[in-house]
Amino acid sequence: MAFRHLAALWVQITGTLCNLQCVHCINASGPREPWLPPLDAETARRHITEAAALGVKEIYFTGGEPFMHPAIMPLLAFALERAPTTVLTNGTLITDATADALVALAAAARYSLEIRVSLDDPDRERNDAIRGRGAFERALRAIVRLNARGLLPILTATETEAAPGGDRYARLRALLLEAGVRKPRVKLLPLFPVGRAQGRGGGTVTREMLAAVDPARLQCSETRAVAAGGVYVCPILSGLPEARMDGATLADTLVPNRVDHPACLVCWQTGSSCRNA
Amino acid sequence: MTTLSEPRAFRRIAVFGGVYSNAHALAATLADVRRREVDAVFCLGDLGGCGPHPDRVFPLLRDAGVRAIQGNYDLAVAEGHTDCGCGYTDPRDNHFAHLSYAYTLARTATENRRWMAALPGHRRLRLGGLPALLCHGSPRAISEFLWESTTPDGLVARFLDDARAQLILCTHSGIKWHRRLADGRHLVNVGVIGRPENDGTTGVWYTLLTAESGGDLDVEFVPVAYDHEMLAKEMDAEGLPPEFAETVRTGWWTTCLEVLPGRERSQGRF
Repeated sequence: MAFRHLAALWVQITGTLCNLQCVHCINASGPREPWLPPLDAETARRHITEAAALGVKEIYFTGGEPFMHPAIMPLLAFALERAPTTVLTNGTLITDATADALVALAAAARYSLEIRVSLDDPDRERNDAIRGRGAFERALRAIVRLNARGLLPILTATETEAAPGGDRYARLRALLLEAGVRKPRVKLLPLFPVGRAQGRGGGTVTREMLAAVDPARLQCSETRAVAAGGVYVCPILSGLPEARMDGATLADTLVPNRVDHPACLVCWQTGSSCRNA
Repeated sequence: MTTLSEPRAFRRIAVFGGVYSNAHALAATLADVRRREVDAVFCLGDLGGCGPHPDRVFPLLRDAGVRAIQGNYDLAVAEGHTDCGCGYTDPRDNHFAHLSYAYTLARTATENRRWMAALPGHRRLRLGGLPALLCHGSPRAISEFLWESTTPDGLVARFLDDARAQLILCTHSGIKWHRRLADGRHLVNVGVIGRPENDGTTGVWYTLLTAESGGDLDVEFVPVAYDHEMLAKEMDAEGLPPEFAETVRTGWWTTCLEVLPGRERSQGRF
């Protein structure tokens, strides 16, 4: 796939270290010894600085659970001085104190700070069967906490399977409204056959399929992810040896990439992007 | 996508975007511009949108000699695309976008579709001594949203470098803003005249840009009041979604909200 421009830099800040262990996690994150270690703060800062100089539009922090990283707050401040910044979190560690700190950070920043809180199913039992016991309650509490302070979180749901009761988007929106969130924000992501969902895909992108697609439809034409071990093609495939880009600098990696993982077929089919909008 | 270059330099220009079939606001804008001694008037595209009677804006634009570029809406209507290409990713945003697009596409005369098809994608000009690039969304993509809170200086510098310009003018997002980089170069989102900008007031905005030869750029956002109640009544009569007319009457966006960054979203009512 031809590379167009660097719109988003993803920082895999905690690697696969997480306090939850969701059944569909794209990189099989969990609380045990992570297969992909956290990124050190200096490497993160170096790549953010280079991305800003290259004209990046947005910085994203993901993991694992980013709020398990000891330097997450200063790193967010560092990123926000250079570009709009988003954190993808399960919400479980967003205490009142953390929410206060995030609101202060957002208020002082030139650019927008977005918090994306993962919650997959509007039904508590079904959500917790995917994300672990208590995950629904804790995520919703984080959303309400942030919302009450004027920082409008984006509920992010993976379309794990057809939800009984119909339209997942409308039901998640209704859930937020019921919880008192007056400006509900919901982002849906498709299920990617990678990590714990490996094997749930159906084939790969053929040469003919690739030739027929507008590069703008595939996020790998405008994104890169930095993780322990180097720079990777996109946030879905971070840490996988086959998705690692060669090069000493971020700029070196802004070159055509392979599109042959089963997860690439989902991007090709849906045109989905991991970015906020 | 074609680029048209203006042969002579200007001292003062008026620029607006996003007409969205709002002929009332367009007429009021053009009346205001006539009092401002401008050398030329530019429209950065999206002539159709959420408003009624899409054909009514074209004679106003042509009679006033407005130099337009193509917005994503104009491209889509001209070529009969299946959607407006606004760049929404959210189901609710897309639901409302589809309603206004289907209405507009069905009611735009062939003559006007041809006129839009012939519009350039970009324009280049000199304002004072400043080389400027006019685009719809961003220099690199017709449907890219450039919001103040999510457009970093590094990206603005990159756009200006790539365009070899001192000034970039864009629209598409619907809220005006101006960034002056430390090195003195500028990006101005000129806003839109088709709908209010989500601040609870019913007026709209266009932009006056003035640069004397060798001097710095002066950017003035000009408020325009128009008969918004008349527009809202026409929208109701045409059976357009009541959410659209509510925005016109209240100044608060009710649709196409999910594309807003958190900071801009927090400033609106919904």
